[in-house]
Amino acid sequence: MNLRKNNARLISETNQVSATNQIPEENEVNVFGAALSRRNFVKAGGALFVGFGVLAADGVKNVAHAATTRNSLDATLPESWIEIHPDNTILIRTGKSDFGQSTAFTAYRQIVAEELNTTFEAVTTVVMGDTDRTPDGSGAFDFLGSGMPNIRKAAAYTYQALLDLAAQRLGVAKSDLSVKDGVVSAAGKRMSYGDLVKGQQLKLTIPVKGDLTSIMGLTVDGNPPLKPVSQYTVIGKSFKNSVTATKVAAKEQWAVDVRLPGMLHARMVHPKTLGSTLISAGAVDKTKFPNAQVIVKGNLVGVVAPTEWEAIRAAQQVAGATTWKDWKGLPGNARLFDYLKQDADWKSTPVTKSDKSNGDVPPAMAAAAKKLTVSYQLPYMKHAPMGPTMALADARKDGTVYIYTHNQNPQALRGEIAQMLSTSPDNVVVRIFSGPGHYGRSNGGNAGAEDEAVILSQAVGKPVRVQWMRPEDFQWSTQSPAALSDVEIGLDNNGKMIAYQIDHYMPAMQDDRPIGAVLAGLPTMPAPSEKGDFVANTRNDPSDPWVYDGVATLLEQGHGTYQVGQKSSPLAVGLRDHSMRTPGQFQQNFPRELAVSEAAALAGIDAIQFRIDHAKEARVIGVLKAVRDASGWETRTSPHPAAKSSGSTPGSAPGSTAGATPTATPSATLVRGQGVSVMFRSETYWACVAQIAVNPATGAIAVEQVTVAVDPGIVVNPLQLKRQVEGGTMMGVSIALYEELMFDESGVTTRDWRTYPVLKMADIPEVKVVLLNHPETGKYGGGSEAANALAAPAIAAAFFDATGKNARRLPLKPEYIQTLLKA
Amino acid sequence: MVTITVNGVRREVQAPTDTPLLYVLRNDLELSGPQFGCGLAQCGACSVLLGGKEIRSCVTPLSAATSAEITTLEGLPARWAKQKGLAAADAEKTLHPVQQAWIEEQTPLCGFCQNGMMIKATELLESNATPTVAQIKAAFTTSGPSAHLCRCGSYTAIIEAVQRASTVMAKGGKA
Repeated sequence: MNLRKNNARLISETNQVSATNQIPEENEVNVFGAALSRRNFVKAGGALFVGFGVLAADGVKNVAHAATTRNSLDATLPESWIEIHPDNTILIRTGKSDFGQSTAFTAYRQIVAEELNTTFEAVTTVVMGDTDRTPDGSGAFDFLGSGMPNIRKAAAYTYQALLDLAAQRLGVAKSDLSVKDGVVSAAGKRMSYGDLVKGQQLKLTIPVKGDLTSIMGLTVDGNPPLKPVSQYTVIGKSFKNSVTATKVAAKEQWAVDVRLPGMLHARMVHPKTLGSTLISAGAVDKTKFPNAQVIVKGNLVGVVAPTEWEAIRAAQQVAGATTWKDWKGLPGNARLFDYLKQDADWKSTPVTKSDKSNGDVPPAMAAAAKKLTVSYQLPYMKHAPMGPTMALADARKDGTVYIYTHNQNPQALRGEIAQMLSTSPDNVVVRIFSGPGHYGRSNGGNAGAEDEAVILSQAVGKPVRVQWMRPEDFQWSTQSPAALSDVEIGLDNNGKMIAYQIDHYMPAMQDDRPIGAVLAGLPTMPAPSEKGDFVANTRNDPSDPWVYDGVATLLEQGHGTYQVGQKSSPLAVGLRDHSMRTPGQFQQNFPRELAVSEAAALAGIDAIQFRIDHAKEARVIGVLKAVRDASGWETRTSPHPAAKSSGSTPGSAPGSTAGATPTATPSATLVRGQGVSVMFRSETYWACVAQIAVNPATGAIAVEQVTVAVDPGIVVNPLQLKRQVEGGTMMGVSIALYEELMFDESGVTTRDWRTYPVLKMADIPEVKVVLLNHPETGKYGGGSEAANALAAPAIAAAFFDATGKNARRLPLKPEYIQTLLKA
Repeated sequence: MVTITVNGVRREVQAPTDTPLLYVLRNDLELSGPQFGCGLAQCGACSVLLGGKEIRSCVTPLSAATSAEITTLEGLPARWAKQKGLAAADAEKTLHPVQQAWIEEQTPLCGFCQNGMMIKATELLESNATPTVAQIKAAFTTSGPSAHLCRCGSYTAIIEAVQRASTVMAKGGKA
């Protein structure tokens, strides 16, 4: 069974055979707004192809063009959403690239099988990502589409078309049909889906809207009938991810494995600083590197050679001989928050306000019996994929460009490359292969190497493979933006929050300009500004949905600014930012949840009960109660009665004592604490409890246990969801304890895994995952990235519980913790 | 020319002797198990076994890889088959218990680091058939040139897979 790309099934037979009771060739059948037609009868093969047509609606001007070019799918071509084959196998295509979420290979197959009333195993092939082989584009985020992914609607239309076909063939009314495991029955007759399509080529055209090469891609439109959740038999089961087996057996073709004849290896020589323009590029020492060649375009310098090792060594030699202007335009990480507070321009970008903001804060705050006024800071962080960005590009003599890479938004990349080359997207094809998780950094279409490979390939007239080295992947890629928030909370005499105001400050989060194009001086989209479109904008939208509906007066505001260094860098780059798991919402949820924990402590109320008291939605309360029960939470006020910020008095051990402890530390010298956090994201409710141990003598924190309760509505695949939550939780612990981009006035000084430490196995907590399945909601929410955001505010709250000291910025490194403990 | 033995086969390699073994394995021998993660021996994605001991192929020059047999992820099934004396026909159909456990436990997320994780697990289980959780954590954190890093956070799933493989291997490979 081939569960990846299978191009052997394209069907070219067009010879007619006679048939009766078929869909008439001339007439289209309307299927809930989709159009079913028969193109031809065929002698062998046959299939139902589900393509798309374009709705005449606002904002779709690029689609009609893009959808009919040779490199995009056309409803008349077999490269479409879903193919039903005569052997009863089913092929599905999605523009989304699975980066380890497992969704395309598990949940999508389950959803299609469910809507088609067939088996999981019948969906034998998943085609993913390739711009010329998949229909809908968009990025590797929100796979489940808040419960309505494109593939679900496409399958629902397909099912109705199959029923129409079956009604015709069996000569009965559609309502008299019953279907089980891909076999349609009526009046004692049975036909499999394969039988229905055998001998004909059928086409189903479904309505879509959107812009294929935009970040969001196309969306399937209309409202086909959906299978009632009560009848689900495939969704809810723990199917395995088919790609796991090929990866584990070393049989997967990764992007890094792709080779083309005549291909050259390349290494880049990036500028000395984030604002350095080129003075002169060094020459290759031909006595040492006879086959290497320097390519210069504007401020872009690359070295190509037939072998990878020669390219690496020649690039090092050329880098040493290349001169750049100096530039100092960054505040340096030590001065970052002073810079953001005092120097950054927060006025040019309009302030945004959340939908739930309500009431007049100042009088409500003035009436409060107690007030909490606090500020929080989050550092720049790196996506830090395990493999640095790479791409293989083949800029051909006929003007077409093929890019073989690993990217979260291939259609957006296609558009960006076309823009860079001032050519039509028709001429650009992006093929997608497995690679390291990107955690958001390429969801706008590029991670760094793609456009550079194209520029170099065009220059040398051969395929060029660009592989960044580890230091430049830290220093020249985008980062998750730093942020700060000011919070004010008013409590009444009963300890109830009567007024809450939070102001979030964050530089622009989404810079999708390809860096090679910027350095080479080629066309790109503009840098983020207050005038940019919804992506390339400095606006900071409130993105952390409020869950404490019992608070009468609420004001949540977002303040945006330019990327740090963007305006002063002669290269117009500075510290480029990009969305990273739970983007923006993490930067807003951390201060919100930590402030609510501080408010609970001020009120003298248990932090979980305090949240329950202010929540109205049953599912918010549900995840809080679930996490309380599963974690061994001690219901009490915070800090812990035995909290200490110095000395060696032991605290009691909440919950499990399994898991990590600070290395070689006698337990008696530790203090322990618990903390909680809550989030609503992509239709899913989350709550998290962290239990930690602190060594007051060293400032070392061990996260001993993290419990996460997840209510996504319908749990599509319990095992895969559990693994995703475990993984996200580990990344969250890593963010809380270790991660911070270091930079000076010229550029990023973080350069490797020693200067950007992440969580190691010895330091992991025990992770408990509680899945709350609520089929009655009828929807499945997102299950991956939100887990990343939960741990940090819970851990910081647990630190207060353990020590009585407030940690209001990340990461919780020992030096920072020691400063807090001594204060 | 340098001769190295990779997964039971002697291979003659034309690459300069200072070429890191990783590039030889990936480019000259077209093996796809070992991955380029850092080139600095800091992450473990490039790990292979040299004489049964895990090394970082990204910093090991070709000239230093001639002393013993190299086993890559591709070679784990044959390594297990040889250790168990399985017939060649059976060996071709059999994954190493470590690989099988990685599938059963659905361990990888993106999977880019898992080559090194499975190599490290094999090294560990060949010297300690029934490691404790603490021993597993130590093996993946402090026993080599650096900790084996997983950015996706699959550490719990790795521990569970090592334990599953340990159980299977202790029974001689019968699940």
